[in-house]
Amino acid sequence: MTAEIQPARRGVFRREDVAALAVFLLLAAIPLATSGYVVYILPQYMLLGVLAMSLALLWGHGGIVSFGQAAFFAIGAYAMGLVMKHLTGMAINSAYVGILVGTVGGGVTALLIGYFLFSAGVRAAYFVVATLALSIVVEQTVKSFSDITGGWNGLYVDRMTVTLGSWLELSLFDDAPIYYVVLAVVVPVYVIATALMRGRFGKIVVGIRENEDRMTALGFNVPMYKTLVFGLSGLLAGVAGSFYATHAQFAHPVNAGVLFSTQVVIWVAIGGRHSLLGSFVGAIVVASLSNYLSSIEEIQNYWPLVMGLIFIAVIVLFRGGLAGLVEKLAGKGAHGRAAGH
Amino acid sequence: MALVITDVSAGYGGVTVLRNVSLALAEGEILGVLGRNGMGKTTLIRCLAGLIEPTTGTITLGGENITDLAPHERARRGVATVVQGRGIFPRLSVRENLTMGRVAGASARRDRTDEVLGYFPRLGERLAQAAGTLSGGEQQMLAIGRALMTDPKVMLLDEPSEGIMPVLVQQIAAIVTAINRQAGLTIIIVEQNVPMVFGMTDRCIILEKGRIVAQGSRDEVSRSEVMKEYLAI
Amino acid sequence: MEILVSVLADTVLITLVLAFAAFGLAIIYGLTGVINMGHGAMLTLGAYFTWWLLDQGVPFVPTVLLSALAVGLVGLAFEHLLIRHFYGRPFDTLLLTWAFFLVTTEVIKIVFGTDFRNVADPIGGDPVNLGIYQVPTYKTVVALLALAVVAGTALVFFKTTLGVRVRAMTQNREMAGLLGLNVAAMYKLVFGFGAAMAGLAGGVIAPMFAVQPYMGDMFLVRSFFVVTIGGIGQLLAGTLFGSFAIGGLETVLALFSDQVIAQIAVFFIAVIVLRFRPQGVFSGR
Repeated sequence: MTAEIQPARRGVFRREDVAALAVFLLLAAIPLATSGYVVYILPQYMLLGVLAMSLALLWGHGGIVSFGQAAFFAIGAYAMGLVMKHLTGMAINSAYVGILVGTVGGGVTALLIGYFLFSAGVRAAYFVVATLALSIVVEQTVKSFSDITGGWNGLYVDRMTVTLGSWLELSLFDDAPIYYVVLAVVVPVYVIATALMRGRFGKIVVGIRENEDRMTALGFNVPMYKTLVFGLSGLLAGVAGSFYATHAQFAHPVNAGVLFSTQVVIWVAIGGRHSLLGSFVGAIVVASLSNYLSSIEEIQNYWPLVMGLIFIAVIVLFRGGLAGLVEKLAGKGAHGRAAGH
Repeated sequence: MALVITDVSAGYGGVTVLRNVSLALAEGEILGVLGRNGMGKTTLIRCLAGLIEPTTGTITLGGENITDLAPHERARRGVATVVQGRGIFPRLSVRENLTMGRVAGASARRDRTDEVLGYFPRLGERLAQAAGTLSGGEQQMLAIGRALMTDPKVMLLDEPSEGIMPVLVQQIAAIVTAINRQAGLTIIIVEQNVPMVFGMTDRCIILEKGRIVAQGSRDEVSRSEVMKEYLAI
Repeated sequence: MEILVSVLADTVLITLVLAFAAFGLAIIYGLTGVINMGHGAMLTLGAYFTWWLLDQGVPFVPTVLLSALAVGLVGLAFEHLLIRHFYGRPFDTLLLTWAFFLVTTEVIKIVFGTDFRNVADPIGGDPVNLGIYQVPTYKTVVALLALAVVAGTALVFFKTTLGVRVRAMTQNREMAGLLGLNVAAMYKLVFGFGAAMAGLAGGVIAPMFAVQPYMGDMFLVRSFFVVTIGGIGQLLAGTLFGSFAIGGLETVLALFSDQVIAQIAVFFIAVIVLRFRPQGVFSGR
């Protein structure tokens, strides 16, 4: 089946690339056309989009659901905050160190957990429970060690400043500069993740999702690939968390917990678990919509309920999410995604 | 007629395995179904048991059309299936396996435990033992005994000799024949073990690529071209 | 000596309360294979029904039974509408039960509000002083009830023909159907019973905890650990053992540290145990 659809997809550019280009051009144009709240808030949603991608590559490609993505996001956010707070008076820009620590922290934590669990061949159900526990543990930890993390009040984080030796010093305090910096992070993250998933690594991961025993029989080290894809996922969540913290100017237990992890699952399900772009856009759309609708008094109480119902509808009716729907409408559905699930 | 199969075709995922098979069994008759692996024998059993839906044709049991009924509904009407590999419940005791035969469907079945233990005294010696600890032959006895506990009209046996010592195969064949005579049970037995089937019945069919290519008495079937090829292998 | 006795007694009580809370999950997970992420919400729902019925003036015992019945019916409806189409697809049932949790929690918030509700101790009065141990009356009653529920289920499971049918079904579903068992109906019965048990547990533990929309969350993960450490399908001994491991460890660790740290430590230990014995400590296979 895969062999049949390969030729149609082998071109340098695919439809999804055109769509991605359009999305990123649109995002790049928004600050030129408008200002104010939209330009302030969009970078946060883009970073949530990266968080969604971190799950999409795990779930859509690897077939592994994690209910612990918030934990890696929070590791990134708190690492950023704590490093920026405590690492002062150094020659090096503390924000850079924060990003590095947050990103590597997310990735390494995921690698360790992934190695620990996958090397024993734990089943998907246990993995979900273990990641769920991870979310709870991280949430409880940041809540209870309040002298370090600020507990329930959260941790204040400064806006970072971009420096390049003594040549450049750009404060990201205003909306537009940080908007473009975030975009400049998001685009390469998307491109690299996409390239990885289309390459040999991604094909192996998909192969494991489709038939783990066969891949083992073919000589692939299945636990290692699962560990790697989980590590990559934690890495992306960590990047997203560190930039989110400096943009939102806080790191908060809410962004560590089970409910936040769940939201990530919902974004990805709605956006389309098989598509990184779909998940990215799904997160932005659903998060903006949630934010907007929650501000309207008459419906704010009902919105989460509606989300839950939409989630059910996606699971039961549109397994490919929005991305799958778009593909189908674009006429590819008939033979393109058939082998999908 | 106890069981009438008319023009039944079936398969898996678009691949047709069984093609336009028609058969009729009188009450108390034993029909032997012969054929090599992959020729549709098990598919025929699964189709009759209700595990796969036929793409064409009808199946009637005692005049009632059962083509669209689920497996448990067929079982409740008197179709008992002894599956390939025996399908015993390994962590239930022998007694519980037999009980399951009695209580799985309707509540008001007559209790045939004594009769079953009469046919298979070995089971009586092992009633409290976990069924998974029985030998292959004993498990086969349990599977047949358990099927009998459902108080069936028709029994479908799929490869009962598979993986069982020859001595026991003869014994099981003799017991099944006795059950057929004493209880008037209609039986379809799918086998690759030709002598076993010839020892049990005078009426056989041969399936080849999903079609009935020969049928009739032992002698007629033995003389057919397919059978010569088949026995030569 | 007194400390030792009271720690021991507390551990036993907590173990049994936890076993009660996990029991519905053990039933559904162990017998149908559905990873019921909605288990916590079922507990919460039972607690809210209990709070509401008591508020309407219904006496405690009928209240708790009605709560169990109501949650059982909700579970049945959920099974009938969605779950039954997805047996054999564990990931989809996992997501659907998680969606059940989300939707139920939101409905609870809309109907009952987000304020913490208190359910009065139905027995009331001071702990019974045994000299070396102050017996917390209600907790003890709950613990005994937990034992009774587990024992009663064991009786049905191992000594009745219904039990034979259920056990046979979990060992070979297709064969059970071929013998005449209506497997779909049996799954429905089991799912409904598991939901009712979660509702019963939620109602019974309501007086011991603040009733709020997320009260079930903590129990969800703990219950999972209880069930998985005990061994899936090892309903009775497994559940009790798992509860003892999780609840007992938490009590003991809490003596030496903060409650939260104890809980975190227990989660870590549970994950480690699962890593090395993914089939559960109590499972023979």
